[in-house]
Amino acid sequence: MKGYEEGGRLRGLRCRHCGLITATWGLACSRCGSLELEEHELALRGKVVAYTILHVPGDEFLNDAPYAYVVVALDGGGQITGWMPTVKQESDLEIGQRVRYSSSYKPGVQFVKETDAGAGG
Amino acid sequence: MRETWVVGAASNRFGKMKESGREAATRVAMEAIRQSGLSPKDIGYTFVANAFGISEHQGHVGPLINNGLGIPEVPSATLESACSSSSAALHEAYVHVAGGFIDVALVVGVEKLSHLDTLAATSYFAVAADYAFETKNGATFPGLYATLASAYRQEFHPKDEMFGAIAVKNHANAARNPHAHFQKEISMETYLSSPMIASPLRLYDCCPFSDGASALVIAAKEFVQRPVTEPLVFRASARSGAVTDMQDRPDLLGIPSTRLAADKAFRQAKMTPKDINFLEVHDCFTIAEALALEDLGFLPKGTAAKESYEGLTARDGKLPVNPSGGLKAKGHPVSATGASQVVEIFEQFNGLAKGREVPKAEVALAHNVGATGGSCSVHIFSRR
Ligand SMILES: CC(C)(COP(=O)(O)OP(=O)(O)OC[C@H]1O[C@@H](n2cnc3c(N)ncnc32)[C@H](O)[C@@H]1OP(=O)(O)O)[C@@H](O)C(=O)NCCC(=O)NCCS
Ligand SMILES: [Zn+2]
Repeated sequence: MKGYEEGGRLRGLRCRHCGLITATWGLACSRCGSLELEEHELALRGKVVAYTILHVPGDEFLNDAPYAYVVVALDGGGQITGWMPTVKQESDLEIGQRVRYSSSYKPGVQFVKETDAGAGG
Repeated sequence: MRETWVVGAASNRFGKMKESGREAATRVAMEAIRQSGLSPKDIGYTFVANAFGISEHQGHVGPLINNGLGIPEVPSATLESACSSSSAALHEAYVHVAGGFIDVALVVGVEKLSHLDTLAATSYFAVAADYAFETKNGATFPGLYATLASAYRQEFHPKDEMFGAIAVKNHANAARNPHAHFQKEISMETYLSSPMIASPLRLYDCCPFSDGASALVIAAKEFVQRPVTEPLVFRASARSGAVTDMQDRPDLLGIPSTRLAADKAFRQAKMTPKDINFLEVHDCFTIAEALALEDLGFLPKGTAAKESYEGLTARDGKLPVNPSGGLKAKGHPVSATGASQVVEIFEQFNGLAKGREVPKAEVALAHNVGATGGSCSVHIFSRR
C-alpha cells in the first residue's frame, strides 16, 4: 500500500471494464469484479462532499485536533479521504469547498483550501 | 435445516467491570446455560467474540471459558467482525446447529476496555476502519459516522432535535434496563448542550466505551423438546459484506451491507418489515439508528430522524426501536453487543424486561453492524 501517496502525487487505479476510479488498493475492481485494473494518476484538486471537525483524535493525530476529516471528490473522478490541519471549526468549512492536496510533514493525505497559499499542490 | 432456538440468554451489567473479560464471559455463559435448563456437557461448540482481548493481554480465550465451565474438551473459536463479532458468532452457531453438525452451541461475547483511557480506546477502535486509507488519514469511529451524518444533513436538512430525540429515547429505555451502562434519562437540553466530539455528533450522539459480557445458548428444537424458557425461534440469520471505504461508496446516505443483509433476512423469513413488532438496531451513533431504520426497509430515505422525533420508535410507539437502550445508552462493549441485542429480545419474549415491555413481542429483528458497514448481521426471531 506504500506509494498511493508519494512525491506530491496521488496514485490510484482505474477499472478498464466499468471505469471506476479508486484510491483504494486491490487486485480486482470493487464495483464490477474485473481484473483489468490499470494504474491511474489521481487529480490533486477536488471538492469536499462530506466532512467532520474532529475534537477527540486517535494517537497519531494527538497534537493536531481539532482538525477536519474530509471525503473529497477529485476533479478527474474518484474520491479520497484526507484531513485538513488548518480547519479548526465547523464554520471554517462547507460541503462543496474546493480543496487541493498538499504534501504533509506526516503520513496521511492532507488537503488545504484551494485558495490557501503554502507548500504542495 | 432443523428448527433452531435460542433457549438461554444472559448479560451482566454493562459499564465498568471489576473482573477480567474471561471471568465475566464465563459467568454470563454459566447463567445462560442454567437458564436454558441444559448442562454445560450438552454444548458441542463455543463460539466466542472478543475483538479487543489483546488489550487485556489475552487472546484465545475460548478454551479458558470452556475450562471454567468444566468442559475443556469442547472445541471453541473466536470470531472477529469488529462491532458485529458476536452476531457473526451467533450466525456460525446457527449454521452448525441448524445444519445438524451439533445439537447445542454456546455464543459468548465479551469486551473489557475500561482500563484504557479515551485516547487508547479511540486508537484501538480505529484499527477496525481501513488503516491505510482512513485511519492514517485522520479517521476515528465517531469521525467516520460524523462524515455520514454530514452527508445526511446536507441532503435532508433534519433539525438537531431530531437526532436528539433518538438519544433521549434510548436513554429513557436504558433507565429501565438493569444491564445498561447509563441508567439515567437525559433531557433535550442536556443533549443540545453537550460538547462536540466530531461535528455534527455531540457527546450524547455517541455510544460510550463499555465493558460487558453476553451469552446465548442455541439448540435444535428436536434436542430440547420441552424448553423451560420461551425460546426464540430463528426465522432468519443473514450476513452481508459491502465496500468498507467511504471513498469508494456510491453514496454516503446509507449502509449498503444493511440493505443486503436485510434483503436476505426478509427472504429467508418470508416476511416484510410489517411483520416485525420491535427491533434492536445498531445505534453506535444516533445517525446510525436513523440509517438502520431506512436501510432495513422500515422507513423511506431521509425520514427516520423526523419519525423518531414524532415518537414512532418509542417503547410505546408503533415501532419500538432499541427498548434495551441501544448501544447509545445500554452501552457498546463491542464484541458483546450483537449477543446483547438477542438477550433483550429474549427478555422481552420471556416477560423479563420489567418496566420496559414493548406492547407486542411476537416477532423481533436484531441488526448489528461491523465498523462502518464492512459487515452486517440481521437476525429475525419469532415465538414458537
Ligand atoms: C464520546 C466519547 C469520546 C466520550 O469520551 P470522553 O470524552 O473520554 O468521556 P469521559 O470518559 O471523559 O467521560 C466524561 C463523562 O461523560 C460520560 N460519558 C462518556 N461517554 C458518554 C457517552 N457516549 N454518552 C453519555 N455519556 C458519556 C462519562 O460517563 C463521564 O461521566 P461522569 O463524569 O459522570 O463520570 C467516547 O465515549 C467515544 O469515543 N465513544 C464512541 C465509541 C466508539 O467509537 N465506538 C465504536 C462505534 S462503531
Ligand atoms: Zn469495474
